[in-house]
Amino acid sequence: MAWQAQRGRGRPVSSEGLRPSLRILIGKPGLDGHDIGFKVVAAALRDAGFEVVLGGIYLTPEEIVEMAVQEAVDVVGLNVMSGAHMTAVPEVIEGLRARGLDLPVIVGGIIPPTDVAALREKGIAAYFGPGTPMKEIVAYMNKLAEREAL
Amino acid sequence: MGQAAEPLTHPANGREKLIERDEALRDAAQAWERRNQEAFRTETKEKFVTDEGVEIKRVYTPLDLMEKGFDYQGDLGFPGGYPYTRAITPTLYRSNLWRISQYSGYATPEECNDLWKAQVQSGLNTIYIAYDLPTQLGYDPDYPEAEGEVGRVGASLVSLRDWEIAFDGIDIEGVLVSQVINAPAAIGIALQLAYARKRGVPWTKLKGIAQNDILKEYIARGNYIFPPEPAIRLLVDSLSFCAENVPNYIPITVSAYHFSEQGADRVHEIAFALADAVTYLEAAKERGVDLDLILPQLMWLVSHEHCDFFSEIAKLRAMRKLWARITKERFQVKKPESMQCRLYSAQSGLSLTREQYINNIARTGISALAAALAGVQTIDLRTYDEHWGIPSKEAELTNVRIQQVVGYETGVTQTVDPLGGSYYVESLTLELEQRIAEELRRVDEMGGMLHAIEVGYPQNKNFDDACRFQRELEAGEMVKVGFNRFREKEDSRPVRVYRADPKVEGQRKKAVQEMRRSRDNARVERALANLKDLAVKPPSETGNLMPHLIEAVEAYTTIGEICTVLRGVWGEFKEPAVV
Repeated sequence: MAWQAQRGRGRPVSSEGLRPSLRILIGKPGLDGHDIGFKVVAAALRDAGFEVVLGGIYLTPEEIVEMAVQEAVDVVGLNVMSGAHMTAVPEVIEGLRARGLDLPVIVGGIIPPTDVAALREKGIAAYFGPGTPMKEIVAYMNKLAEREAL
Repeated sequence: MGQAAEPLTHPANGREKLIERDEALRDAAQAWERRNQEAFRTETKEKFVTDEGVEIKRVYTPLDLMEKGFDYQGDLGFPGGYPYTRAITPTLYRSNLWRISQYSGYATPEECNDLWKAQVQSGLNTIYIAYDLPTQLGYDPDYPEAEGEVGRVGASLVSLRDWEIAFDGIDIEGVLVSQVINAPAAIGIALQLAYARKRGVPWTKLKGIAQNDILKEYIARGNYIFPPEPAIRLLVDSLSFCAENVPNYIPITVSAYHFSEQGADRVHEIAFALADAVTYLEAAKERGVDLDLILPQLMWLVSHEHCDFFSEIAKLRAMRKLWARITKERFQVKKPESMQCRLYSAQSGLSLTREQYINNIARTGISALAAALAGVQTIDLRTYDEHWGIPSKEAELTNVRIQQVVGYETGVTQTVDPLGGSYYVESLTLELEQRIAEELRRVDEMGGMLHAIEVGYPQNKNFDDACRFQRELEAGEMVKVGFNRFREKEDSRPVRVYRADPKVEGQRKKAVQEMRRSRDNARVERALANLKDLAVKPPSETGNLMPHLIEAVEAYTTIGEICTVLRGVWGEFKEPAVV
């Protein structure tokens, strides 16, 4: 994990030069405390060689934005199952933009199809619903990492 | 008959005959194995293993039970008798079908009223309140923390006024009202009691349930407010208050279900819940509470799935036996009701799929059958559209019908514990009992559940299980039809997915603020000041907090207002950094 020392954007390739990596914040906005899903995703991403910052539960959009800035992450992953997605997710995207960060925001959890479309319009980069295989999320992140590396 | 009488009249001779018979059986089993080696090679797997690592044998015979030292009287007994493995009542469903329950609740008290009236009409005899998250965390709809969450996953009911609207015209004496509320459960119970008093239903007749299991919030569900010590103080207060005043009320439902929902295997699911309950009993004992007073009003929330069908049944039979032994031997209780494991069994949403969602109805029906064969007291099912959003009313009613089909059409209700005596099910029951007992011992050796949670032990175990679940699912070792087998290119989606109206948050804010304007605020201030004074003192000085909570909610003080005061005194729990 030699790339751990290098932080933030513009650090897309591991020092071994093997393949690009990313620093990913994963957290849960709102009041829902079910955390096993995002922890399993976090573990899968870590096993795949990504750096994961576990943000935890009960986060406000402001706290998530602040963490993204402080931890200099490349991607923000949000898990929402409580139905609060239409409030919390756009607030995170706007908050990041207000801080000059145009980071890909990825959403996981239970979101009705019409709301997924609405969230895409608001600027989320991807949505992974229930049943998404970990390898699909890992593949997505790998592609993102390669793109960031250009 | 003649054969059975022989050992009684000639004991020595009888024993010899029995040994002879066992040896003959052993020889026959070995001969069968030798004869069928070729057939065995056609089996699809080298080993058949359950989640918790129990290897399932090709066939079970009396030899398996003999090896495990199975003893009918000691291990099973009769229905309604110690150790309650077969059932906690002598007649089970021959007298009454299990309670049909369906977790539900829509955003506003008005919507809840419509929904619950329809459910009661459809034959449901339990209203199982799903609260929204702000209510479960002690925030009123107009608190900033509640933004975006009001009425999303359930009902926003924070004051006696809300109860008056939600239960208007519903027979709260005939229907059992069950609340899924934990951190502020004591306040939820206070509201239910205050409302009953208002409706003129005597507390001695009131039936009801509260979840009120705070330890599993720290482990799995995440809806905690206070640190463990004051949280358990509130819990013990609610248990002993209900024991003395509301004899038909179940003020606690110790939950194994949430661990299963996380992906925990059966051993962890049951062992951690038993360990949580042991912690509560020890806390109550320390406060001088007579356990025989509170235990008859303790219930369990467990899970039942269609997967590993027989293990699910064995799991619950083993749990009944273990709890009977723990209460009798460890806590020395005397009343039979104190030793009985009353089971509220809920299907886990984890077993359902988003893909080809209509298949979930089959899974749900089979899981309900498992719960019935396990002899539970209440069954609650997940809806076929659960992976698409908050369940629709149609899907919830379908679940009531599924239970009615299992209950009234299949005939599994005609005898108590139909699988009792099955070589397979009894072997599984003994095996799981032993493994759960071992896990319990491990938690004890760590210094009990509070310490185990502090160091992240149950959290990590459940997390490891969840990762294994995901791996097996993705590797296709765990088959999910429509997901990792028999997948279709074009998948269907539910016609209707429930979406909370974004306007309800504003409506709820307004309703609560209007209610606050119309009540006697001086009385509210006095009640809150009183609670603050009491909360700073230790329980030995204050006695039970429940009467004071009831006084507060009767003055239309809200859950949010009370929790704000208690947060100010007791602080909030912060999750330790684990995983």
